[in-house]
Amino acid sequence: MLNYCIKRIYSAVIVVIVVSIITFLMLSMVSGNAAILALGTDATPEQLAALEHEMGLDLPWYLQYFNWVKGLVRLDFGSSMLYGTDVLTLIIQRLPVTLSLALFSMLMSLTVSFILGTISAVRKGGIVDIICRSIMQLGTTIPGFWLSIIFIIYIALRSPVFPISGFVSPSESFEGYLASIFLPSLVLAIAETGSMLRAVRTSMLQSLNQDYIIMAKVQGLPRWKIYIKYGLRGALAAPLNVAGLKFARLLGGTTIVESVFSLPGLGRLVLVAVEQRDIFLLQGTAMFITASVVLISLAVDIITALMNPRMRLEGEQS
Amino acid sequence: MKKFLKKANPSLIIGAAIILLVAVTAIVAFFWTPYAPNVMDNAHSYLKPGDDPAHLLGTDQFGRDILSRIMEGSKTVLIIGFISVICGAFAGTLLGSIAGVVKGPIGSIIMRAMEGFIAFPSALLAIMLVAVVGKGETGAIIAISIYTIAPFARLTNTMILENENLPAIKAAKSFGVDSKRLLTHYYLPMMLPRLLTQFSASVGSAIMTEAALSFLGLGVQPPNASWGLMLSNAKQYALLYPYLAFAPGIAIIVTVLGFHLLSDGLGDLLIKRRS
Repeated sequence: MLNYCIKRIYSAVIVVIVVSIITFLMLSMVSGNAAILALGTDATPEQLAALEHEMGLDLPWYLQYFNWVKGLVRLDFGSSMLYGTDVLTLIIQRLPVTLSLALFSMLMSLTVSFILGTISAVRKGGIVDIICRSIMQLGTTIPGFWLSIIFIIYIALRSPVFPISGFVSPSESFEGYLASIFLPSLVLAIAETGSMLRAVRTSMLQSLNQDYIIMAKVQGLPRWKIYIKYGLRGALAAPLNVAGLKFARLLGGTTIVESVFSLPGLGRLVLVAVEQRDIFLLQGTAMFITASVVLISLAVDIITALMNPRMRLEGEQS
Repeated sequence: MKKFLKKANPSLIIGAAIILLVAVTAIVAFFWTPYAPNVMDNAHSYLKPGDDPAHLLGTDQFGRDILSRIMEGSKTVLIIGFISVICGAFAGTLLGSIAGVVKGPIGSIIMRAMEGFIAFPSALLAIMLVAVVGKGETGAIIAISIYTIAPFARLTNTMILENENLPAIKAAKSFGVDSKRLLTHYYLPMMLPRLLTQFSASVGSAIMTEAALSFLGLGVQPPNASWGLMLSNAKQYALLYPYLAFAPGIAIIVTVLGFHLLSDGLGDLLIKRRS
């Protein structure tokens, strides 16, 4: 087990380092020098040189990278030219929105997937199974931005409950918070449900093939008890792992929904950074999101391994 | 041919039919569209589908014919989808093969870099790449190509590592076949089925990414027609003219579904037969 954890942590650290190099190199190639962008085109060459020196832009790239990483380690993500504050503050302000979206959409998707996935595995070839298989196929092809527009037209505009746009903080009004987050989460949940369903269905089919299920059937236990108590319990680990990994990736996948519903989350921050060419903001936010994705995935994998001895062994073999 | 049709599964046939339809639409759009897709006609703006038989799918806020713009969009979608995935798949397969055959520090540097790219959430990576290469159609093509490299590199690398102990490969190595020939004559034929399956799926997601980027204002720029851009336009007028959102949305769903079905179908047809 310890071996597995160490191996997993080691590769996660390597990935984070590689990600930091990619983020830094990619965004330092962005056309236009940060100092020019900050001062405008009217600045004199002397002013430019002075600011470049102050920002450390006249150093060779590896020293710039080194300084940047030194900052990251001390949780200093740089400061935004556009907002004039440090990037971490901006991220923390916007994190609750994105976290809520990721959390709620995953909860919705998990609930639906477990109910439909279980029925579809138990009654293989039945109506629910056919519906599930079409959801698996269609779910990933429906673009989130289109679904958002459709939801706004046909749900938000016609019902007084759901706002068309904007975020209500839970401290203001909890109902308002839920209403403001519901439709965007639903859009994200629909996109995720295809693969979640597949995970539940496959896992449940495997679980129902186990000897102890057949044994339980032979002993004449009630069907629902067999499926829920024994079948589902054996089928929990893999889909929950998938859900955790999906949750992590959603932290960087909410841009479109946030943009359509005008929610002030991390995705919008990235978009603003790109549109306004605020390189430090983009670098900081991208690094924060991707490092969180890698670290949450690491945590999810280790927790699943701790919970399930069978999975732990599989992890060691590979 | 008869044998092939017998083996073809419904996914493959439906997928191929959809793609054929989109391709024919795009080819027709090169020579003819009912109206010029970018020409405004303010006298006929906001016609709903069915209001005027001359505008089958209606017109947008500038009176531009939606059917013409959908047809024009199918051109954009296929060009961007195919060019970017062909470039990305080629580069990815090449990098994955080099890493698989050469191994050593070069191989592991390549694969570590690819893992890094895969670690980024895909929407974030696409947006960052556009920030680097610039907005617009060319920007979208370059961004999507780069974004496609890593999955192909990983797939190729895994397949080479899986196959390198096969007797045929070992025999070829012992006869002194050089790495280049080993790749093109031994590994490539083995890898082709899975690469083709991945290619089709990748074109599907490239189309989706292009639409998303254009929707966010980072891809195809107005006045040119792209389905994503048409939707972003529809969003502004959704309150009064919801029909603007239908045609481009359905076009995206059907096209992406086509590529996914083709990918599934190819997978069933080619990969099962081998194992």
